[in-house]
Amino acid sequence: MNLEDILPKEFLEPNIRLYSFILLIVIGLAALIAFPVKEYAGYIDPFYSPTLLIIPIIGLFRLTCYAFRKDYNRHLFKHPLQCPALPSADSSARAYTGETSLFMKIENYHRYFMYVALAVLPFFYYDLFVSLTYSGIFVLRLGSILMGLDVVLLTLYVFSCHSIRNLVGGRNDCYGCGLSAKMRKDVYKSQSFLNKHHRTFAWLSLLSIIAVDLFIRALTAGIGIDFVIMHVVL
Amino acid sequence: MNVCIKIFRHDPASDEQGRFVEYDVPFEEGMSVLDAVNYVSNYIDTSLSVRWNCKAARCGSCAAEIDNIPKLMCKTKITSDSVTVGPMRAFPLVKDLVTDITSNYDKLRSIKPFTPGKAQSGVWRMNEDDVVRSQEFRKCIECYLCMDVCHVMRLHNTNYVGPRHVIKAASIDMHPLDSLDRSVELKEKHGLGYCNVTKCCQDVCPEKIQITDNAIIPEKERAADAIYDPIIRLIRKIRGVK
Repeated sequence: MNLEDILPKEFLEPNIRLYSFILLIVIGLAALIAFPVKEYAGYIDPFYSPTLLIIPIIGLFRLTCYAFRKDYNRHLFKHPLQCPALPSADSSARAYTGETSLFMKIENYHRYFMYVALAVLPFFYYDLFVSLTYSGIFVLRLGSILMGLDVVLLTLYVFSCHSIRNLVGGRNDCYGCGLSAKMRKDVYKSQSFLNKHHRTFAWLSLLSIIAVDLFIRALTAGIGIDFVIMHVVL
Repeated sequence: MNVCIKIFRHDPASDEQGRFVEYDVPFEEGMSVLDAVNYVSNYIDTSLSVRWNCKAARCGSCAAEIDNIPKLMCKTKITSDSVTVGPMRAFPLVKDLVTDITSNYDKLRSIKPFTPGKAQSGVWRMNEDDVVRSQEFRKCIECYLCMDVCHVMRLHNTNYVGPRHVIKAASIDMHPLDSLDRSVELKEKHGLGYCNVTKCCQDVCPEKIQITDNAIIPEKERAADAIYDPIIRLIRKIRGVK
């Protein structure tokens, strides 16, 4: 079997954007492993929630996500770079496989990565709880607010997923044909509303994870950017 | 004030290749690109071929590439002193701005038609919400701008049926009384996997149909249900759902 049969043709083209993106991921992962900052003063780094080993699967959840597909297909693979016909980096001379190549068929398994993401989500809520109560009293600090924002954005991102939209009603043609018709219809409509903003949540949640990670790393490095907003003795 | 309109001219019967020809057209307030093209056709060069009909963005006949973006000429106002108009390059050229869109009708016929299941006591009862979802796709005016902007249709020789035909299939698939599932056929026979969700079709649709979000992705997910998800497949088999 040739390499061309497995990898999408786009991988084999001279593509500086793609290679720099892969390099960025490798550097990021190397930094996480070489300079681990698992926990600081009750703050648990989001990359370790619950374990660093989960990152590849969460990474695949994002890489197979419909929101990110648009971005990398346009800006990495340039299929096409932009909608206007000209100038276009795409051409009929370039091979194109879409998601039909053996490698890209993984995009069809997005739902399984989504199930894992759903299972991981409660750990972020637990981390938030720990950050608020780690000293035995309820302490609200800047870091906890950042972690709270992060967990809300992650929840919105996961629950606005297109696979969840299919799961909660997208696959149904008839809401009046079964039990709880109104409830099913309402859930589908609410999820569809979230789904419209899926791309926004995808980016914001990615940024918030990195922001929390950098915040904790800054504290570990001795930069005093955290402060207590309020505390309540339990 | 005049507007410089550059129109693609090519008669395959006599010309080896096409070229853009500049025409000066007197500008009027609220002028559309179609108005300017018609001015050229009526007063400057009557040999110019252009297809148009309703002039109200309802028939989809005057689809063209305006400044390289697929748009309806009648719905596009002239806002600068220069504009470029070319034919839809995803389809074979007939002459000048007219293209041959016959292949679309063959593709439409390849989509399995509405196949109702068992009628309820002889009367078809449908929930309004279910019908609304399917009706979104019936707003399509068949201008084929989505087909023109799709890079798979324009540049890559695949068996992808194209966004217009996926929404046709979705409009029947999502009908509450239809008994068939076309998603697997879309995936395996009509090349749905070639769509890489870059949403250009959705961006150019003059009817604002959410082609990618409400038709293509749901059909992809339904195909994933049937092909890649044995648990869902089993549940649906037990429940006797299509």
